[in-house]
Amino acid sequence: MDETVAEYIRRTVLKIPRDEIKMMLQKWGFLSEAQLQTLNFHQIKDNISQEVVQLCEENSADIKQAAVLDIIYNHIYQNKRMWSVYQMKRSGEELEYFDITDFKKKFKRRLRSALKNVTITFKEYEDNAIWIRVAWGTPHKKPNQYKPSYVVYHSQTPYVFISSSVLKSTLPLLCQALIVASNYHDIRDMELRSHSLNSLKDIVFKRYSQNFQTCTPKPLQGGNVEPEIADIRIVEENRSEKERIHRLNQEVFGSGPQPKLEFAQYRLETMFKSDPKMDVLDKKEPFRCLVKFSSPHLLESLKFLAPAGMADAPLSPLLTCIPHKARNYFKIREKKGLYPESFVSP
Amino acid sequence: EKADPQKTAFLLRKAWTLYSVTPMYGFRRARLRDYARLLGAFIAAEKHKGLAVEVGVELDIKVALSSLADIRGSELDQAALLVQLSSRSQGSSRNSEDKPVWWGWFCSVFGDELSENVPEHFTCLPLFLSHGAESYTALVGSWFQKTFDCCFRRLAISPLNLSWMVAMWAGCKLDRAASAVELVFSVPRLAQPLDISYAIHPEDAKALWDTVQKTPGEITQEEVDVFMDCLYAHFHRHFKIHLSAAKLVKVSTAIASAHCDGIVKILHSQYLPGVLMLLTELAISQIQ
Repeated sequence: MDETVAEYIRRTVLKIPRDEIKMMLQKWGFLSEAQLQTLNFHQIKDNISQEVVQLCEENSADIKQAAVLDIIYNHIYQNKRMWSVYQMKRSGEELEYFDITDFKKKFKRRLRSALKNVTITFKEYEDNAIWIRVAWGTPHKKPNQYKPSYVVYHSQTPYVFISSSVLKSTLPLLCQALIVASNYHDIRDMELRSHSLNSLKDIVFKRYSQNFQTCTPKPLQGGNVEPEIADIRIVEENRSEKERIHRLNQEVFGSGPQPKLEFAQYRLETMFKSDPKMDVLDKKEPFRCLVKFSSPHLLESLKFLAPAGMADAPLSPLLTCIPHKARNYFKIREKKGLYPESFVSP
Repeated sequence: EKADPQKTAFLLRKAWTLYSVTPMYGFRRARLRDYARLLGAFIAAEKHKGLAVEVGVELDIKVALSSLADIRGSELDQAALLVQLSSRSQGSSRNSEDKPVWWGWFCSVFGDELSENVPEHFTCLPLFLSHGAESYTALVGSWFQKTFDCCFRRLAISPLNLSWMVAMWAGCKLDRAASAVELVFSVPRLAQPLDISYAIHPEDAKALWDTVQKTPGEITQEEVDVFMDCLYAHFHRHFKIHLSAAKLVKVSTAIASAHCDGIVKILHSQYLPGVLMLLTELAISQIQ
């Protein structure tokens, strides 16, 4: 077995939490059940991984099998990576029949014609997701297995989720190969990024609870509002305002859980407007800002800004449009014309 | 008045943790060598007691004390005092260099308010800045406290003071490659914490400040408030969020950056005295 393959397998196993190693090796299926029985999972990880490497040596593992183990690890720990969403475009409306073998063949051929040294691995999962791993080399160097790109493609949709390699130059090649292989003619960056792959899928596949209009005000419910106070001597201030905010929040965010995004970024190129009395800046050029919101669960935290008194209700459409516009990177310019107060996001 | 850029280069681009220090009793400039020796012995003794600084690391710590004559505001200020801890790993040859592992310096820049009223035998250096392992800071701090009967306290920076800093620094003259004027807010008490970074192009921030500031060289609280209100209003116009209700935790400009936990980074030697003067003032407020 190649030294580099042995080292790669060793390092991959080391990444796995000790309690999960057995399960992942079983999913991998490269080592037999009998071989797995011989492993002692109660020793330190260093030793476990050495033993795994020895067993792989017995089975003459090559880089292709090692790459599959890596996909399995990254599929389970997908939230450790940052994913960007891309949308592919067709020229016509023809519904093409998707042939996975054809896809794989075309993908490999396209990449290999551009770059001789690549390791390409596919793995299909039950939810119609095709996981692709690509390790990149150069004409003179073998592929770097430690900086691969990952692609998740749901063949029934035009969306691909890419966790790019740190080797930036590989992205255009990857995109090219994807559209060629899937019979699309163009691909665009949707400016939608997150660690939570499932949340990205929720957003583009519209699987989250969306706005709904309520014709009649709903009775108070949910965690936003304090429970009924028994003592009639205590009067709740601003009760109707609280109810209004709660209702508006429901309309905008719906009542289900929000997709999990960690940040939203806005590049503002709008004008600075101020009260003329203040006698401050009155430039004809944009007031350039970069605003970034970060949170472990951004949409949930935005939901609570108005009830907390930190924001007006309804919240700005710049924020509430994130899920249905399916993006979290924005460039905001002033809209020219009758309503200078509104913004346009290209 | 201007500090020698060579000597003070090490002060730049490091994150310094701030403390206020009450006046030191019995400190004598002539005895720096002695103090270094005593402090070194103290550190070695503490390590021997088992209060190891770093587990598994066997280091010989060398202490050096020196004066930074250029770091002071007026003649009334004491010259700054630098304490440097270096390590020399055991078993290395004579030729091996000492590697600095910790810096701490005391200073006073226009700290007249304090030094004017202090009795004899007291040395006023109200601002202390440290960089390096917290454990070394604790050791050095406790030696100084015991030896000179003074008191160290972490110096937090309030949102009010942070907004002064950002207004002041945003107005400074810029190089071409100046970095953005950034304000970082944290929204407390939400189910999911939210951080907001609001970064303004340095030219545009300066242009705004220039129209707010009425007298060059002078800044009033009112001007700072107007500047901040303008930024809040611009933000509210877009996002309908009241940034003024959030907690300002960090400000960052091409000149310097400051965090509410009392951590600053100074990036420009030209503005070092100005920044130190402001921090000295904060330290003195905390002492009094």
